[in-house]
Amino acid sequence: MNGKTRGGDVGMNCLQFENALPDYLEGSRTAEQQAHLSVCSACSNLLADLDFISSQAAELRELEDPSPRVWNALEVQLRREGLIRGPVPAIRHSWLLHWRSAWLVPVAAALLIAAGIKLFHPSRVGDTQPIAKQAALKAPAPQPAVSAEDREILKHVASRPPAQVAAYRNDLDQANAFIRDAQDAVRNDPNDIYSQQMLINAYEQKQMLYHLAVDQSNDEQ
Amino acid sequence: MSVGRYAAGVATVMMVSGLALAADSVRKDLHFKVGKHPTVSINNPYGPVVVKAGAARQVAVVAILHSDKVELDQSNGHNRVEVTTHLLSGADQNNGLVDYEVLVPADTDLTLQTDSGRIHAEKLQGDLTVAGNNGPIEVTDCTDGHVHVRTLNGSVSLNNVHGHIEIMSVGGNIVMHGVTGTLVSVNSNSGKIEYEGDFGEEGEYAFTSHTGNIDAVAPGYASIDVLARSTNGSVQSDFSLEPKHAPFIIRGANSLSGTLGKAASSVNLFSFSGKIRLKKRQ
Amino acid sequence: MTDAKRPQGNKLSEAEAIERAKQGDAEAFEVLYNLHKRRVYSLCLRMTGNTASAEDLTQEAFLQLFRKIGTFRGESAFSTWLHRMSVNVVLMQLRKKGLPVVPIDETTDGDEEGTIRKEPGAPDERLAGSIDRLQLQRAVDELPPGYRTIFVLHDVEGYEHNEIAELVGCSIGNSKSQLHKARIKLRELLRASRTEKAGRR
Repeated sequence: MNGKTRGGDVGMNCLQFENALPDYLEGSRTAEQQAHLSVCSACSNLLADLDFISSQAAELRELEDPSPRVWNALEVQLRREGLIRGPVPAIRHSWLLHWRSAWLVPVAAALLIAAGIKLFHPSRVGDTQPIAKQAALKAPAPQPAVSAEDREILKHVASRPPAQVAAYRNDLDQANAFIRDAQDAVRNDPNDIYSQQMLINAYEQKQMLYHLAVDQSNDEQ
Repeated sequence: MSVGRYAAGVATVMMVSGLALAADSVRKDLHFKVGKHPTVSINNPYGPVVVKAGAARQVAVVAILHSDKVELDQSNGHNRVEVTTHLLSGADQNNGLVDYEVLVPADTDLTLQTDSGRIHAEKLQGDLTVAGNNGPIEVTDCTDGHVHVRTLNGSVSLNNVHGHIEIMSVGGNIVMHGVTGTLVSVNSNSGKIEYEGDFGEEGEYAFTSHTGNIDAVAPGYASIDVLARSTNGSVQSDFSLEPKHAPFIIRGANSLSGTLGKAASSVNLFSFSGKIRLKKRQ
Repeated sequence: MTDAKRPQGNKLSEAEAIERAKQGDAEAFEVLYNLHKRRVYSLCLRMTGNTASAEDLTQEAFLQLFRKIGTFRGESAFSTWLHRMSVNVVLMQLRKKGLPVVPIDETTDGDEEGTIRKEPGAPDERLAGSIDRLQLQRAVDELPPGYRTIFVLHDVEGYEHNEIAELVGCSIGNSKSQLHKARIKLRELLRASRTEKAGRR
């Protein structure tokens, strides 16, 4: 194993240098190794290359996004396992995210959003647990809490043909009626999956009306 | 020209022959190259939008503009294509009409918006989001993706659609044939909900309405865990379900609950005053 | 041109999202996912070399994370926690498939010749400046799985050898020597690809 170095000197050869390379890269550098490097272009190129490779490697760190499918499948599973406990958002696209928090407030007030409520996992056979153990929460009394949003919706559609405005009013009435009926149901049975689901769905319809009215009036600009 | 592109071209020509060109009409052809899983968005207030799966890696749009009160805005980049009908001042639902026929790769994630136009989406496998006010919406032979449909009063018709499905309607009726998935959720106000299928795939099926009736027709071999309840409407079932402990207190409401077969899928049919009927397929 | 409806910025901070996720808030989960998906997915992709596996593993990593989010107390950075979990998920997958996670240190490797002598006629130019990121990416994907794991964990993701040894279940010495071999192998691959590229002109 004692090959000659290129320089012909006494001292380490390329193979020896290479075998010691891992330690060299960790920082333990001997004078012998430095000496070999200064005369051996092959080894100093090797060293430079390995340095280059390890330094460039970090460029590969964060390159690509997974397809949206991954989140979609993940969300379904999270709901299945009851890790997501709350209303199903009507639309998953994140450009609607900012609407959600405003609309969840009345829903949160009316429902028990506590651990254990699984809206998409009604009891299977033999499950005798009540869905939520807390005491009944008071649902908000039927007040015209929705009128501010109604005004906003009607404002956005005001410039449309009268037939359309009338249709919106009609849809609004239906949505409000649904919310009122659902609130009644929740007041009677707050622990009940039926009334919880109805209330969430009623609010989601209202939210949809709002979106459709506002988005389209934006488009018309 | 490769075979694929030729075929797509022919398909475009054949498809467009269905579109009538009136005197004032202008036809626009748009072509975009895209990569895998592209995102395509079409926004067309008035007029039909028909989207079908075509050749991979390209999006072909044929639009017939029925007057000079409309123009097309388009943008594309980063594997995204957006085409919007821009209504100029003076446009209404008659002269603002644009007919779209679109071919996209099957793995496209698609968003379609309309006010009163008809929407038809066919043979797609990506995620589909449809928002329409009054136009009828048809989704056919779409599998694997998320399908989200919102409408105010347009009818919604799903045929042979599988995946994760969410539909919301105020007054539009919803009809589903051969629809299954991990989640099938329908939220209606006065629109009727009709389902014909086997509630398969160990999914969660949740049909809710305020006043609309809910009719579900399922085969005798369906494997389901059913909860049905209507506060003011009647609830009927052709099936004799295995009883189980109901998770809710029944107070003068009409309800039934029970299982069929191995209870693989959960089926919730909830209405406030609509009638609920669970029928057996003959 | 009509403006596209771009996604709104995340209104929740990570800390807020973690708290809300513990309560089961769907939006919070999505925020956390969006914050970290690229890092996790890229890691899985680099370690497995194919998108289908990487997507499955990404989903699995987040699922495991979200299942345990109730126990997260903030002692370490959330991203560190998630990252380790992702690495574990990938390693478990590799083990299941019977792929070598880290090759055992072999004493006789046939490396007696040394790297230098393997390529007598090789160009003596350094790699720096003649290799782009895509080539490096491709070369990493071509590495044998055992080498690839170590290289990705150490050089790409920045784990230390003692951490790698713990994660992977080998000795620190083994981790170091395998890393070295991985880099040597990469150098070979990159020089070959550079020659090939030059040859095509």
